Amino acid sequence: MKKVKRDVFSRLKRIPTAHFSMWVVGIICLIALLSYLNVPLTPYSFDQTSETVLLGPSMAHWMGTDELGRDVLTRVIYGSRLSISIGIITALVGFLVGTLYGAIAGYVGGKVDSVLMRIVDIAYSLPDLLVMILLGVLIGRGTVGILLALALTSWRGTARLVRAQFIQLKNEEFVEAARAQGQNHLLIVLKHMLPNSLGPVIVAMTFTVPAAILSESTLSFIGLGLSPPACSWGTLASDGWRALRTHPHLIFFPSSFIFMTVLAFNFLGDGLRDAIDPRTRI
Amino acid sequence: MNLENTISNPQPTSLNRSSFIVSAIAIIAMSLVLLTGCASRSRFTPGVLRMNLGTEPPAIDWHITTDATSGDVIVNIMAGLTQYRKNLSAAPSCAESWEILDDGKRYVFHLRNDIFWTDGKPVTAYDFEYAWRRIEDPKTGAGYADFLNDVVNAKEINTGKIKDLTQLGAHALDAQTFEVRLKKPAAYFIYMTAHWATYPMRQDVVEKHKDRWTEPANIVTNGPFKLDRWQHDYKIELAANDKFFEGRPALDRIKMFMVAEQSTAFALFENDELDYVDNRSFSTHDVDRYRDSPYYKRVPLLQGTYIGFNCLKKPFDDKRVRRAIAMAVDKNVFPKLLRRGERPSNSWIPQEIPGSSSDAALTFDPEAARKDLADAGFAGGKGFPSVPLLYPNREDTRLIVESIQAQLKQNLGITIELLNQEWKVYLATRRQDPPQLFRANWIADFPDAQTFMNLFTTGNGNNHTRWSNKTYDKLVETAEGELDQKKRVGLYQQADRILCHDEAAIVPTFVTTQNLLLKPWTKGIEFNALDIQFFKTGRIDDSNESLNKVEPPAEIIKPATKPIEPANSEVKKP
Amino acid sequence: MFAFLVKRILYAIPVLLIVASLTFVLVRIVPGGPFDAERNLPKEIVANLEAKYNLNKPVHEQYFLYLGRLVKGDLGVSYKYANRTVNDIIGDAFPVSLQLGLVALVLAICIGVPLGALAGVNRGTAIDYISMFISTSGISLPSFVIGAGLIFIMGISLRILPVALWESPQHMILPAVTLAFGPAAYLARLTRASVLEILEKDWVRTARSKGLSKFSTVVKHVLRNAMIPVLTVLGPITASLITGSFVVEYIYAIPGMGRFFITAVSNRDYDLIMATTLVFSILLLITNTLVDIGYKFLDPRMEVDG
Repeated sequence: MKKVKRDVFSRLKRIPTAHFSMWVVGIICLIALLSYLNVPLTPYSFDQTSETVLLGPSMAHWMGTDELGRDVLTRVIYGSRLSISIGIITALVGFLVGTLYGAIAGYVGGKVDSVLMRIVDIAYSLPDLLVMILLGVLIGRGTVGILLALALTSWRGTARLVRAQFIQLKNEEFVEAARAQGQNHLLIVLKHMLPNSLGPVIVAMTFTVPAAILSESTLSFIGLGLSPPACSWGTLASDGWRALRTHPHLIFFPSSFIFMTVLAFNFLGDGLRDAIDPRTRI
Repeated sequence: MNLENTISNPQPTSLNRSSFIVSAIAIIAMSLVLLTGCASRSRFTPGVLRMNLGTEPPAIDWHITTDATSGDVIVNIMAGLTQYRKNLSAAPSCAESWEILDDGKRYVFHLRNDIFWTDGKPVTAYDFEYAWRRIEDPKTGAGYADFLNDVVNAKEINTGKIKDLTQLGAHALDAQTFEVRLKKPAAYFIYMTAHWATYPMRQDVVEKHKDRWTEPANIVTNGPFKLDRWQHDYKIELAANDKFFEGRPALDRIKMFMVAEQSTAFALFENDELDYVDNRSFSTHDVDRYRDSPYYKRVPLLQGTYIGFNCLKKPFDDKRVRRAIAMAVDKNVFPKLLRRGERPSNSWIPQEIPGSSSDAALTFDPEAARKDLADAGFAGGKGFPSVPLLYPNREDTRLIVESIQAQLKQNLGITIELLNQEWKVYLATRRQDPPQLFRANWIADFPDAQTFMNLFTTGNGNNHTRWSNKTYDKLVETAEGELDQKKRVGLYQQADRILCHDEAAIVPTFVTTQNLLLKPWTKGIEFNALDIQFFKTGRIDDSNESLNKVEPPAEIIKPATKPIEPANSEVKKP
Repeated sequence: MFAFLVKRILYAIPVLLIVASLTFVLVRIVPGGPFDAERNLPKEIVANLEAKYNLNKPVHEQYFLYLGRLVKGDLGVSYKYANRTVNDIIGDAFPVSLQLGLVALVLAICIGVPLGALAGVNRGTAIDYISMFISTSGISLPSFVIGAGLIFIMGISLRILPVALWESPQHMILPAVTLAFGPAAYLARLTRASVLEILEKDWVRTARSKGLSKFSTVVKHVLRNAMIPVLTVLGPITASLITGSFVVEYIYAIPGMGRFFITAVSNRDYDLIMATTLVFSILLLITNTLVDIGYKFLDPRMEVDG
């Protein structure tokens, strides 16, 4: 396995867009982490009495200030930690739940499989937005509520993907051999099947991250995003888009960060797919 | 899967790649041109007004609906007993005159005999009698049923204690005479007869078409315009009523669009697709760009906003804590943030209404605030619990509560949590279990202090502070029955000071203003302080007449029946 | 084919029933009721209103009443729009969303598929990077930002298109483009991946060796086969495009159905929430069935199971 990983990594490095994207993702994650260290960067820090409301970018405020006189750069950095963690946690939860679910359906098969898959069908038939809103109202507008709502829609695709992989793998010789030897089911799944089905799933995960970041911004747009003073790129963009004509810096900076991150994750995902799948090797 | 059969007989193709791309581009370009068509269009149509309602009116039935959007439609298709003049005094409308008898407990209205419904039948006192009975009938489920609680037996009927609707103290004496009996004198009663909740209604039409009687094909009205078309969730079209008793209006047609997003509505206005915009379509960002335009106008609104405490919950059961919060918030910040003509409140009664005073509320004083907080046992904010501040999910309220959050942190060292709920949940929470702090507002139903002060009496359904003060209740009750305006003003001023200063049950923050931007061809529309817009005097044409005259703020509110002296020093401060 | 359709319909009934029941329960768990209006209604009046709409009955009784009406094709009444039935509301809004959704769908396919094919065929070249950059932009910007930008550029600055409303075919252009952005980008990426995969197949190499030009191979054979995964995602994409998007309808003030996914929930307009959910599920079932029929069309030998 280790050698395969190294292979994938070196192949990834040979794809220029993917290589570049790795750096971008790394730097953005670093910014998000660093924001925890920097104490004066609280979202409260603003001064309404002086005339610092809605200033354009300048040396003092690189990205200008917002309606309450807060520094936009501070808000963007602060927002990165929520956006990035929302993206990554949603993807992870979707990955864990989806893989477990799909693995059970695919491995056990039969009646269990068809019941589990009908549930996925039904989960797809409920409009995402409706489920997210109802959950948001029920759980509240905190980070946890948003995460749960987003995660709830991210597991279904993974579940289907893993199931399909498992059904294919079940008939492979090495799995049948392991079974014939009377190995523990759990062991077979963990040792033989999971590692061989993870490629497409990991790729799918890198697409879930940007999708979650965007969904969070849509939730903010609808007015179901995070409660202030907490902010994310999504809330910044949805608070700022009306100022497109008068104070474009309010919308330009947060949406550029969303754009860059989503782009980077997407290219990374593309690169990973190409690197993992030997059939499309260059 | 094996797909070899699909390519078993390859044919040579004449297309090459570049010609394919070229033709694709050509097709897309051509279809764009076709769809786009000719871009030139006239900037307006004389006699046609295009405006933005903001949302679909929930209903046009003036007994069912309670909101201002429906009101904007209803007041332009109907006429009531009285109507508001521009200065908000009550003027004759369907009633040409009225008598006030029995020390203000009985009103007799004399109707004009030349008023007709749009189907040609005359408007009679029986139409009013039917309407008033219907709004009180519990079966109607009218939102404004309690509005007329001062009328004899109204409360008993709308709460189901009396089943017989004819017991209501509102009767048609004959086709031209309508009599109303009140439980107690009420100085503000005449205003209610100008409100849409008291408009007449046609029994035969309502009973024939049931739930669908307000559809354009069925509805029968008596106002300056007729409901002509209603594309739900999109637009309403009104057409001039040729038979309107005050004369046919100058506008032939009014297109009322329902554009919810402010910036879209404003883009439509800039693109000459709307003829004027108001607060619904005019955000702070756009106000900033048009502040110096000669077509930018402001009209004060009688809409007060406040921060309420739940006075039963710790720590706000202690009035020192409430006073500390009230003194730690600098109200002068809000107009700087919202920049749409907000006026910081010095009292709960807006300054335009008699009864208001300049010093009823606590003023910004962080020093005194910290002292009060320390006296209550929270020196420097230590030990102060993290309390939630509930607010509805709207753009401008977000800025206000974020600013309050920061000010309390800065001035008192306390942290409050912002609890943002969407509108329905917010209302339900506020009603069922109000949190320690909540942000709310109140728009006057009529231009009188009663509509603001009755709100915080014990047991009022909208008093979410759960605050109860016997002296305040007594003062308000006495003021409501008091017919001498001077005494009334004094009583209200005393009550206001108890509410906002001594007891600090609420922190009045600011009073809002209507911001208007009109196209040069839009003229004559009446915008009043109750946030109702009358189009019967409106015009769309390119004559060279001067711009819309908007009354200066001080003249907007005039006393209704008798002149009222301005607030004076005779009033004793408790 | 007939047996296939019957099977599908039989499958759809329990799915719809479960979706309806789930939604029914979900909306009633959420706090807030349909009559929490701006002005507080007295208790007695709320009680009257609730009686009028059967909301005072036990939940299970409401549920069976609802199902009974549903079978008769009666979707119920709207509490917010007091005088309109849900059938009226959906009847007004659905055709608007349908038109807009279909235009957006055609746009998305016409832009997305060629873009992806172009990138796939020219893999690793500038064309590939440019078209992938364009398509990724489509899924990297929130649609409200795209919409606001389009209104500003095409409407206010250039004045070549109406900025909003639903009056003429021209009014359809900006919202349809905004709506198509995301799906077009998604289709482009999918087509590219799929084309890459097919190009590696032996039979394509055979075709090339028979002397076919790369371009005609792609157009005639590769695309046809690469369309199978694209077709798979077209089912859900079509269903969601046709039921409309809240953001696009909100920004362009279009009287479509997408807004109900949000407004009906905030108004606690129970029957309307139910109806929008059901319409979405039914469309999804229909489009997925069409997709399966489409598979047969692309490859007659493909097995389609219910």
